[in-house]
Amino acid sequence: MEKSDPIIIIENACKYFGQLKAVNNVSLSIQPGEKVVIIGPSGSGKSTLLRSINRLEEISSGRIVVDGLDIMDKSNDINKIRMEVGMVFQSFNLFPHKTALQNLTMAPIKLRKMAREQAEEIALRLLKKVNIQDKAHAYPAQLSGGQQQRVAIARALAMNPKIMLFDEPTSALDPEMIGEVLDVMKNLALEGMTMVVVTHEMGFAREVADRVIFMDHGAVVEEGTPEHFFHNPTHERTKLFLSQIL
Amino acid sequence: MSHENPKVIEISDGAAIPTKKDFGLFSAWRIAFFGALLVLIYLVVTRPDPYLRIVKFLPDGIIVTFQVTFFSIALALLLGLITGLGRISRNKIINAIASTYVEVVRGIPLLVQLFYIYYALGRFVKVPDMVAAVVAMSVCYGAYMGEVFRAGIESIDKGQTEAARSLGFNRRQTMFYVILPQAWRTILPPVGNEFIALLKDTSLVSILAVADLLRRGREFASETFAYFETYTVIALIYLLITLILSKLVSLMEERLNYYGKV
Repeated sequence: MEKSDPIIIIENACKYFGQLKAVNNVSLSIQPGEKVVIIGPSGSGKSTLLRSINRLEEISSGRIVVDGLDIMDKSNDINKIRMEVGMVFQSFNLFPHKTALQNLTMAPIKLRKMAREQAEEIALRLLKKVNIQDKAHAYPAQLSGGQQQRVAIARALAMNPKIMLFDEPTSALDPEMIGEVLDVMKNLALEGMTMVVVTHEMGFAREVADRVIFMDHGAVVEEGTPEHFFHNPTHERTKLFLSQIL
Repeated sequence: MSHENPKVIEISDGAAIPTKKDFGLFSAWRIAFFGALLVLIYLVVTRPDPYLRIVKFLPDGIIVTFQVTFFSIALALLLGLITGLGRISRNKIINAIASTYVEVVRGIPLLVQLFYIYYALGRFVKVPDMVAAVVAMSVCYGAYMGEVFRAGIESIDKGQTEAARSLGFNRRQTMFYVILPQAWRTILPPVGNEFIALLKDTSLVSILAVADLLRRGREFASETFAYFETYTVIALIYLLITLILSKLVSLMEERLNYYGKV
């Protein structure tokens, strides 16, 4: 596969929950190393779209190709695909019965068949990277929200994924902890990770995004560079949304 | 959120599991336990005939009661795990089998099940009474355990499954590495309760020619006509065993208290 090929291709994706069209005919392609930030009012389908990329939600119609593999094609092992796609949740979802370190080493040991020593070495390095190495042996319940989310990011990185998905990673955090999580994400962006981020943090979008996508009622309303997006939005709905949150 | 305390499953046909505050000097547990112990000792010391004779006659029966209890609980746990997983299975056939099993078993009194399984088994295969008793007890309690397991598994936040699946774990790995290790802590208290309830219910197998505690007592009573004295001792012994077990369960629960919460 050539480097210029998109790493994520979404074609005419639709997702219905009963009558509700959560995602309405979205097409999108994302290049390796690209940082895409998806914004939009709540209920606009942005989280559902993001969760469709690793098939936590199954799209009702359309096609999603991740790293060259059609994720709806049952002959492709979805678990193999997910190993290459890290996911960070709003509510952290750390495993409470495991220490921070064990949260990081579990998947590499069980799924990548990595030796424990090697997995722990990598885990400690990642915990250092997210600036929380001193809590390696703490349980999630002993960590603050910001610390838990940084461990959760490190846990996803421990699988050495090609893509990282972030589903409102700072929405459940107290305001004073948002910065520490965003800093970790910014550093990750600088390292060239392919990132798709659903967030309400406009500062982050402005600073980090290569492309900002605005969704409303399940559809992509407008997309462009942060420059274009924040300074010259073309659509009325985008303008209205931005005026409400900025 | 993923780290809230687990939901409490309320199934209490076992015995009251003492909590920490029940360990005061005048707690119900202490009054019952030491009261029963003192009464038993008093009777044996002051009236060795028949009480000492009764007490000496019963240990074999106590051993059998424990044997039936342990084998039944082990098998019931296994059946319960399978049933619980079956009940949450997406496979409609497996789900229907597990659900039907639970419904049928819950709808039939244990004593009727015991008779039925005992004689049904006896009709096709010759098995020792003990085996028939254990099978019957486990089939019945497996259904209850299945509900306990199901409730325990369902009490774990959906986010845990999503996190595990996102890392690349398949459904089975997610269940065994992530969900069950957490569900265990929700499951344990009701399992302890079921264990105690099962021990008491093993007295029913005395009807099936299994020489458990109650059966031994009946044998003694029918030979000596000391019915009142014998059943007094039997009741006291069941009470003591149950109280000891309920305390053990509560100690175990404390040890398994929630991760990293001091």
